[in-house]
Amino acid sequence: MPDEPPPFLGTWPRVYTVVLVYLAALIALFYAFTRYFS
Amino acid sequence: MRPLDWVVLCGTLAFIVSYGLYKGRGSNTMKKYLLAGKTMPWYAMALSIMATQASAVTFISTTGQAYVDGMRFVQFYFGLPVAMVILSATAVPLFHRANVYTAYEYLEKRFDAKTRALASLVFLIQRGLAVGISLYAPAIVLSVIFGWPDRLTTLVMGALVTIYTVTGGIKAVTWTDVQQMLIILFGLLVAFVLIIRLLPAGVSFTDAVYLAGAVGKLNAVDLKFDWNNRYNLWSGLIGGGFLALSYFGCDQSQVQRYLTGKSIAQSKLSLLFTAMAKIPMQFFILFVGAMVFVFFLFERPPLLFQSVAMEELQSAGARTQYAPIHARFEQAFEQRKTAALDLAEARRADDHAKRAASLERFRQAQQEINGARAEGTDLFQHMHGEKNFNDTNYIFLSFVTRYLPAGVVGLLIAVIFAAAMSSSSGEVNSLATVTVIDVYRRHIHPNATDHHYLWVSRLATAFWAGYAVFFAQYAKKLGSLIEAVNLLGSLFYGSLLGVFVLAFWFRRVSGTGAFLGMLAGEAAIFWAYWFTGISFLWYNVIGCVVVIATGLVVSWFRPSPPKLAPA
Repeated sequence: MPDEPPPFLGTWPRVYTVVLVYLAALIALFYAFTRYFS
Repeated sequence: MRPLDWVVLCGTLAFIVSYGLYKGRGSNTMKKYLLAGKTMPWYAMALSIMATQASAVTFISTTGQAYVDGMRFVQFYFGLPVAMVILSATAVPLFHRANVYTAYEYLEKRFDAKTRALASLVFLIQRGLAVGISLYAPAIVLSVIFGWPDRLTTLVMGALVTIYTVTGGIKAVTWTDVQQMLIILFGLLVAFVLIIRLLPAGVSFTDAVYLAGAVGKLNAVDLKFDWNNRYNLWSGLIGGGFLALSYFGCDQSQVQRYLTGKSIAQSKLSLLFTAMAKIPMQFFILFVGAMVFVFFLFERPPLLFQSVAMEELQSAGARTQYAPIHARFEQAFEQRKTAALDLAEARRADDHAKRAASLERFRQAQQEINGARAEGTDLFQHMHGEKNFNDTNYIFLSFVTRYLPAGVVGLLIAVIFAAAMSSSSGEVNSLATVTVIDVYRRHIHPNATDHHYLWVSRLATAFWAGYAVFFAQYAKKLGSLIEAVNLLGSLFYGSLLGVFVLAFWFRRVSGTGAFLGMLAGEAAIFWAYWFTGISFLWYNVIGCVVVIATGLVVSWFRPSPPKLAPA
């Protein structure tokens, strides 16, 4: 079974990078949320 | 439950079952029955993955956990996106290209029959012991809240699951999971909107968030590293990451979801969508729990949310000991309410002096309330001789049944049924697949027709569904053993993960090395469990590392060429 390219961003490594950057942004956002409301 | 609630509950359940029967039509070959003929789109697999993972207890107790302990539980999911990326890059293409029905079938192609047999046995024991709990745990909560007989509730849920799982196979399971996940999200959204609307007239949404944060209920991230602290950034990223790798990469109840993909790309997308959606979803569920806490700042909550426990505390036998606890709780509640209103007002007026003073009073009153709740819990435990009483699972449903309007209560009970059914259908379906593919077809009847295997698959599904209901009927007698059963997953996942890491990345490792590595990994995990205080999230890391190290050492002395190329 061939590995097709993703429907967006061209290559899979780019998609993986977006997911990991999104995770880092979420953690930063939640940390700011914790600090602001504590 | 009012008539409208029954209409909504029964209507939702009837819709789920009918939809499952409709979508499961045409599952007339083994490949269609166990792998949906590899035709599933990414969004169906993604929602099915999320629905299988989110059990009813997750949904009920997560909101309660935020009420009691704040939002730090969300960190448990921080490793999940990392795990999904790793699995998309490695496991998904390897499993698809190996053309397997189960993850353990791949191990024989890569190593040998004994490694496959050991891994499938570990899965059958671990998942087999856990399958009834998905039905039993919500039934026991509903029995306390509504007085419904728990055996009847598990029987109804089990029967509904059996109808569409046995007839339609994984296609029915996946499409009903999609419906169930959408119902769960809709139910949560409705509950959230209503909680905010039920806040007192002078308290805005911003005030509510501020008040929750003032007593540490919005503590979503803790940067401090501590081996024994279950939820911090590091245990979430590392421990949670290893747990997610094990669960989504080695547990057939999840692997089977993405093996149904019409292409490798579709399966990868399903995992990556889950990676992006899961943390915000868990954050939202916890936030709903934090808002329930704010609601109870202004509306007097019971001392304990478990009604049977409260009745016993108020009974004649305990009245003398309960009276001072009740008085302390009542007084603290009034103080906390006044302080909360003052604090919200000071925040709006930007009055720093008043804010500092009312914040101090607010926190002190909260500590008093925590103290009174702890005393009430101790008294109940002393009366019952029960060590682990906890009312967390009853908080959200107590709120729902007492304060939400007719129809919405039915919807949220349907959400609990949907969550229980989606988890158990995935478990039953995967247990049947491993039984047929890794045991029956491999060891008992290897050369039968496709039609024969299809019927054996249906029988195996019916058997595991019946077993789940039977196990749930007698789960009450297990008592605290249920906690041990819940822990069981983390006692086996580490070694399963280790053997798959060896299969994917270590070309020189032999079948004997992998097999002995698994046994050594299990020994290390049980050692950590019995002789150390290390949090269970780290067992997966320990087991995985020991399996890899042992596998490499054994293979160094007894090398053999790989049967199938690793990643």
